[in-house]
Amino acid sequence: MSATPPVPPKIKQAARLKQERAEERARKLEEHRRREARAKRNRRIGIWSAVAGGVVVVALIVTAIVLTPQPRTYAAGGDGAKIEGVATFDNQSEHVQGVVDYEQTPPVGGAHNPAWLNCGVYSEPVPNENAVHSLEHGALWITYDPSLSESDVTELRAKLPSTYVILSPFEDLPAPIVLSGWNTQLSVDDVDDPRIESYIEEYWQSGDVPEPGAPCTGAVDAPGKVS
Amino acid sequence: MSVLIAASVALVVVAVVAFSIGRLSTLAEPTPTDASAEAGFSRDMQVHHLQGAELAMIVRDETDDPAIRLLAYDIAQTQSQQAGQLYGWLRSWGLPQAASEPSMTWMASAPAGAADHEEHDGGTHEPGQPMPGLATPEQIAELQAATGVDAERIFLELMIAHHRGAIEMADAVLERSTNTLVTPFATSVVKSQNAEIALMEDLLADRS
Repeated sequence: MSATPPVPPKIKQAARLKQERAEERARKLEEHRRREARAKRNRRIGIWSAVAGGVVVVALIVTAIVLTPQPRTYAAGGDGAKIEGVATFDNQSEHVQGVVDYEQTPPVGGAHNPAWLNCGVYSEPVPNENAVHSLEHGALWITYDPSLSESDVTELRAKLPSTYVILSPFEDLPAPIVLSGWNTQLSVDDVDDPRIESYIEEYWQSGDVPEPGAPCTGAVDAPGKVS
Repeated sequence: MSVLIAASVALVVVAVVAFSIGRLSTLAEPTPTDASAEAGFSRDMQVHHLQGAELAMIVRDETDDPAIRLLAYDIAQTQSQQAGQLYGWLRSWGLPQAASEPSMTWMASAPAGAADHEEHDGGTHEPGQPMPGLATPEQIAELQAATGVDAERIFLELMIAHHRGAIEMADAVLERSTNTLVTPFATSVVKSQNAEIALMEDLLADRS
């Protein structure tokens, strides 16, 4: 009788245990691998979502900046247009009668007559004390030397707004053309000077004058009113 | 630590998105530009209104007829206040009061999308031509020289033409703008000045 000797129960048990542990390890390994794969996939999803989110946010900012209108470079009433050669002063307001001795020529501010000069085109020099009051209301006073040619005067007149402007000759003017607003002044030599347009844009009906919106009609005309 | 990072990132993202939404929301009603119909209307209508006030103030001193004086008071006050509104809009839009183009340029071209263009209503205007209904210096001088019923008649005739011109300008901006400040203003000008024309035509009929 040469049969395989039976495996003793202890050894069988041991073998079974070993197998069970091996299976257990394999299972755990499998599970671990699965978990790892899942984690990896989740990480990838996470990264790509963050990237997509980031792209959306960047696109949003870019659109917001590109599509909205550019901020204006002009600030109404501010020193937006830095015009070369404009002088500024610090005259105060006061209503007085009679003749005033002004610091600037032509005057740009200070004590003045209670009646403003009606805006318009004048062929003769106008009284300072009334014109200064008009400046207080936002009008511009454009003065030219009486020797300026008629064609130049016509050209100058064509550049001016139809309201809130006094155009008049001025004796002994320090330059061929002088533009004045309340406490500002610009002298130019030539009717073609582009600073004329800039000055008008910056100072005509400026909100910085003592009485913006006050009228430039209904008070006094001076002799020689053309229009 | 990572919670802190996540929180900071979230904060930045929220801030950026909020900023973008804020900016983009201004697209719904962009601020009018210097050459826009809104700016042109604001400038030219001020000139127009100020003349209306000027004419009213002249006639008020030349007659003691209560109806005319009351109408003149109304026109002077209303149109001055309205001119003030227009002045304020330009300031808040960051635009100069002075135009860089001739007056009425904004009205010179047909409104976008106008297919068949009629010559008249809400129409176009030659740039550089005087504004519709504006009194000429000669007409103003005539009014200034008159008194009593003559002054009243001249005033009414001038003002009826003046109002028609204002209505034309208001119609023109209504065809060219959807701005929520400008359009109700222009609509009210059309309504109120039409009503005043009817009143003035009656007053004028009584004085012919």
